[in-house]
Amino acid sequence: MGYIIFEGINKYFGTNHVLKNIHLEINQGDFVTLLGSSGCGKSTLLRCLAGLETISSGRIFLDGEDITEKNPKDRNVGMIFQQYSLFPNMSAFDNIAFGLKMKKMAKDEIEERVYKAIKMVELVGKEKQVPAQLSGGQQQRVALARAIVAEPKVLLLDEPLSAIDAKLRRSLQARIREIHKELKITSIFVTHDQDEAMIMSDVIHLFNNGTIEQSDKPIDLYTAPKTPFAAGFIGHYNILTKEVFSKMIHKDFEGTYDIAIRPETIELSSIPHEVDNQAYQFIATIKDHTLHGNVLRYTLFVNDIEFKADVLFRSFKLFHHGKPVYVSIEKHNCLIL
Amino acid sequence: MIKNKSSMFVIIAITIYLIMPIVFTFFYSIFAEWNEVLPKGLTFRYYIQILTDLHFMESIGRTLFISILPIVLCTIVILLAMYVVIVFAPQYDKYIQVLSTIPYALQGVIIAISVLSLYADAPAPFSNRMVMLTGTYCILILPYMYQGIKNSLNTVNAPRLIEAAQMLGASRIYAFFAVIVPNILSGITVSALLSAAIIFGDFVIVNIIGGNYFETSQVYLYKAMFKSGQLTSAIGVVLFVITLLLSAGVYFIKNKKLNHGEMK
Repeated sequence: MGYIIFEGINKYFGTNHVLKNIHLEINQGDFVTLLGSSGCGKSTLLRCLAGLETISSGRIFLDGEDITEKNPKDRNVGMIFQQYSLFPNMSAFDNIAFGLKMKKMAKDEIEERVYKAIKMVELVGKEKQVPAQLSGGQQQRVALARAIVAEPKVLLLDEPLSAIDAKLRRSLQARIREIHKELKITSIFVTHDQDEAMIMSDVIHLFNNGTIEQSDKPIDLYTAPKTPFAAGFIGHYNILTKEVFSKMIHKDFEGTYDIAIRPETIELSSIPHEVDNQAYQFIATIKDHTLHGNVLRYTLFVNDIEFKADVLFRSFKLFHHGKPVYVSIEKHNCLIL
Repeated sequence: MIKNKSSMFVIIAITIYLIMPIVFTFFYSIFAEWNEVLPKGLTFRYYIQILTDLHFMESIGRTLFISILPIVLCTIVILLAMYVVIVFAPQYDKYIQVLSTIPYALQGVIIAISVLSLYADAPAPFSNRMVMLTGTYCILILPYMYQGIKNSLNTVNAPRLIEAAQMLGASRIYAFFAVIVPNILSGITVSALLSAAIIFGDFVIVNIIGGNYFETSQVYLYKAMFKSGQLTSAIGVVLFVITLLLSAGVYFIKNKKLNHGEMK
């Protein structure tokens, strides 16, 4: 039985059905990500668990207890918001101590716990500064310390890194993971960034239009998306209908479903490869290329069908635009959706 | 450099323009005679006269009381209304805004006469002149207090801060008054000072509603005008100094509180 259970959750904003009969179980100690585009309902579900939104129907259980009707302050849930939401007039220390003071802890214990949390988020020396004197990254670390210091049953992270620059975001991602491993707090992370979801999570729940499209481990979601939406959202899959795919490989393809091919599984070569019956090979023409850091993404076409292939950017030896290349795709990399 | 010099010139010019009336009022009040081009003889007898007059001191006390009471009441009412609007019913915000803005369009004399005719024969305590005056000033300062508090609440993103405090175990009402209000204290102070200045300088309303029943410093000043121009000037200077000291005091206390909060 799951540590957190969402049982048939429906949520309406007026006539807008935002969460559609969500059933979800989360195990204790897991780091779970709710992934999806803006407006898909992932943050709403998080806010329902926090008690900041009421649900239209369904039940929410936390640690075996029905918390559906419970006041947010009594749920023992920690939360980090996108805009940090630190109290501007309080120092970093007082911000972190706020939750402990609400629990009426002894002064000595508050001090001990706050300094431990400050050390954990690497903010030693900044405890007397007010939020306006801290950088965005430091503010978010104060928010993290404030959320974990009272040892909540669940830690909710509502797109906490989206306002932070890329370099700092990577270091904070690592820090959050380390802290999760250390404290083993069940954590639910909301993001629209698939890379972030892959890096951070034990399990990803992919949201689409108020429903959960697929729940899997990051590697399974990436390598085996089960629906066209999942394939389109995760990675940069080429999604082709059966007819288009048959036209592309110059062979009749059996089956009735769409085909999804990851760009990095497509091999390009200026000379023909020897392929067995476990791969498809055909000639395509280079249309364009774009550089994505260490990956070159080629846009190719064959029989007016456009597709993308990724090549590791190891040298400046590029395939030239308008030139034909040999394309080979292993059959097992053609996923049937 | 040129820009700095020109800015400095503008600031000095505005400062002189603003200070001149009070300086000349002060000069007029300290000369024994000023019947020709130049004044003759220095004297502080007008200051001694008013500062030893018990009526003047009482009128100052009444002015301070009637300036502070409506501001305190108005602040409490607006904060409670804003709490309800932020936490429970954001859709009512626009109605509160409209209601709070209406007094802008009303002349003081109209409000005063309306209140007087409506409540003069009403049962106690509504017919009490001080109660009427307090209520009228609450109406008068409502737009200034509301707008100041509203702007400050928008700046601190109050709904999100209340949510953050709730997640840390605070109730909504505690979060509002213990977290939000300290953060909008400077906005409340500025609105309160503006409102105090309006009430302190009011003569129309207090004369119509209070009159001889509730003699404030403005009424005292009005009566003094018939006795001596120099005495009136001395009263004006004393009232200015009191207002200045009060404003400086409020700013001092506020800054001390804020600095204390930061240093803690």
